[in-house]
Amino acid sequence: MLETEELRKIFKGKTAVDGVNLYMDKGESIGLLGPNGAGKSTTISMISSLVKPTSGDVRLHGRSIIKDPTNMRQVLGVVPQEIALYEELTAYENLKFFGRIYGLRGKLLESKVQEVIELVGLKDRQKEVVTTYSGGMKRRVNMAAAMLHEPEILIMDEPTVGIDPQSRSHILETVRELNQKKGLAVLYTSHYMEEVERLCDRVYIMDHGRVIASGTKEELKSILSGEETILIDLDRQHPKLFKELEGNKSILQALETEKGLKLIVPKGSRLLGTVFQIAERHHAQILNVNVQIPTLEDVFLHLTGRKLRD
Amino acid sequence: MIDFLKKDILVIARDRTELIVLLFMPFILIGILGFALRGVLGGDTGELNMDVAMVINDNEQVGIEKFSEELHELGFPEEVHTELQVVASEISPYHLLTNMLEEESLQDMIHVMELGEEEAEKELMDGNIVAVLTIPENFTYDSLHKMLLNQGDGSNLQITVNDYGSLYASMFQDIIDGFAHNLNFETAISLTLGENTARESTIDRNLGGTETISAGEPINSFQYYTIGMAVMFVLFVGATISSKAYVEKRNHTFNRILLSGKPSYMYLGGKTISAAMITLIQLVILFSLSTLIFGAFRGKTIEFWLGMGFISIVVALCVGGVATLLTSIAIRLNSDSVSHIFSGGLVSLFAFVGGSFFPTSDMPAMVATIGNWTPNGAALTAYLQWMQGLEMSTLISPLSRIVGTFILLLIVSVFIFPKRRSASS
Ligand SMILES: Nc1ncnc2c1ncn2[C@@H]1O[C@H](COP(=O)(O)OP(=O)(O)OP(=O)(O)O)[C@@H](O)[C@H]1O
Ligand SMILES: [Mg+2]
Repeated sequence: MLETEELRKIFKGKTAVDGVNLYMDKGESIGLLGPNGAGKSTTISMISSLVKPTSGDVRLHGRSIIKDPTNMRQVLGVVPQEIALYEELTAYENLKFFGRIYGLRGKLLESKVQEVIELVGLKDRQKEVVTTYSGGMKRRVNMAAAMLHEPEILIMDEPTVGIDPQSRSHILETVRELNQKKGLAVLYTSHYMEEVERLCDRVYIMDHGRVIASGTKEELKSILSGEETILIDLDRQHPKLFKELEGNKSILQALETEKGLKLIVPKGSRLLGTVFQIAERHHAQILNVNVQIPTLEDVFLHLTGRKLRD
Repeated sequence: MIDFLKKDILVIARDRTELIVLLFMPFILIGILGFALRGVLGGDTGELNMDVAMVINDNEQVGIEKFSEELHELGFPEEVHTELQVVASEISPYHLLTNMLEEESLQDMIHVMELGEEEAEKELMDGNIVAVLTIPENFTYDSLHKMLLNQGDGSNLQITVNDYGSLYASMFQDIIDGFAHNLNFETAISLTLGENTARESTIDRNLGGTETISAGEPINSFQYYTIGMAVMFVLFVGATISSKAYVEKRNHTFNRILLSGKPSYMYLGGKTISAAMITLIQLVILFSLSTLIFGAFRGKTIEFWLGMGFISIVVALCVGGVATLLTSIAIRLNSDSVSHIFSGGLVSLFAFVGGSFFPTSDMPAMVATIGNWTPNGAALTAYLQWMQGLEMSTLISPLSRIVGTFILLLIVSVFIFPKRRSASS
């Protein structure tokens, strides 16, 4: 239904998006993952025709929308990364205005506004000005505003940044329901791996303007099928221990975590004994050990050598 | 575009600072300037009471006759001569002065009696009166000379008081000062327009047409400053609208509007209309409040208000143009610094040369000419001419200048406004 071909954007000599190919079928739920500055927002802006690509194409039902985005407008709902609302107006007034510019009028407008506002669970507070809302509530209105015109495709750019767990889970649940019950196609951008794991059928992983991996969650995880993750909780940080493990040839990747260490090792390598010995030598006390199958987070780590978030 | 209008009005209505600047400030300034140039009239004067004497050394009738004879000798055309003569007796300074002292608000407070010079002096010494106002010889003649022909030094009213520091004495002095000031002020206005009308009337006569010469109804300071402040503060609407537009760009609501598929000219047009409507609302509120509280336009006819309404619509359109241009620049540069420069400095400059603070006739001719080409200056002229009872047709010149400015502003705005899909961060 929607696809991009070799999409590229260069800002004053700086390549933000570098030949991205995506596609999305009707009713699908797609995740776009990547660290800060990966080019996610720029890609979305080009898809929604707010930014003109340097080269490449965006097609809806096989027709390019670069030159004439009119067909795209009604089909697409965009939840921007920023809170794009009039702070001094109430949620209700905001939604009324955004509904009107999509051509909604009268009773239909009123009922659509009430529908989306209920969807995001803000019916009781709709008559308060946006300034008085919490970050999470603003995010919810931000999302509601993208759905007034009943889009077929909903693009969400990090809709859960910096909000409380309740609002976050409310938004996730809402999106999931829309996707599964109403067949709304969703392009979900995030650097929260668990959100994407929960919501999306397929995932694109971006870094430095490129798609570095893509596929279903299972496909991506199978990249690491021959590996396992060992989580080790330590009494405190032991930099020397970490150094030594990092240098160990049998360990594919070592990473310091809040509680201790995370190691990615070949499956069945029986490295635990070695690890205990090295820890002993550094007088590190091991509190807990946990062996896991890899997550998408691990896939990302594997592909980029970096964590998604710092 | 009505959608945009509703939203813009709401956004501005919620912004207390903007409201104060747009509605409250001009009103306060009308009050301050209006009163300052009026002397201490009105106010809480109920309990004050004073007796004053007036010594008249001038003969009004003789003064007017002498003045009109002189006009004759100066070789003014018959029509102008007659007209000036009528004007002279209508605005004879003595007449105005006694009128003022007999005005209701003052009558309760000041009791004036006409006395001879010696008698007055005696009463003053005895403490029966607080002041003596002496009208010097040739007062009428000298003042008319100054007022109508702008020749000579005018005349000086003399106030003699016994107890110099007394409240009564200084109040009386203030009132007479205010009067003198006001007199100069009002005549200055009549003079500016007098010149204009003289020119207009020559043209008319060439066309073999009607007589439109008019001394114009004198304009009082409240009327003047209501208009002066109005044409100044409407400009702030332009700045407000454009800085709100920049906020839309910054908080990405502008992107949302683009996403809806609304063409950018509609967004711009929305700004034009919003600014124009807000200006109209602002003008209606200012004129009404000024009339209610300062009595600026009390008792005017429907026809008068229709004319004021028409001029206001033209003015509002022009403000729409200003707002559109500033919006274009703000969106283009992705910065509202231009709006700030405009509201922080340019508006005051425009207002100054446009005559919002004092009549341009008091300024060098060049400034007055420039002022007349500013939209607010042209608007001020149009309003004042209409208030002085001139024909709508004489207003075509200032009004067409405003409309011209409006069109120019729109064209430049469209040119500057970024074409569809600019880079947005
Ligand atoms: N308007 C612009 N002008 C210049 N550079 C830009 C502009 N917009 C984005 N960039 C650059 O392009 C790169 C990609 O930015 P983008 O916002 O698409 O990243 P992102 O994946 O959305 O990151 P984040 O997770 O922080 O939102 C960044 O290096 C950014 O600095
Ligand atoms: Mg982003």
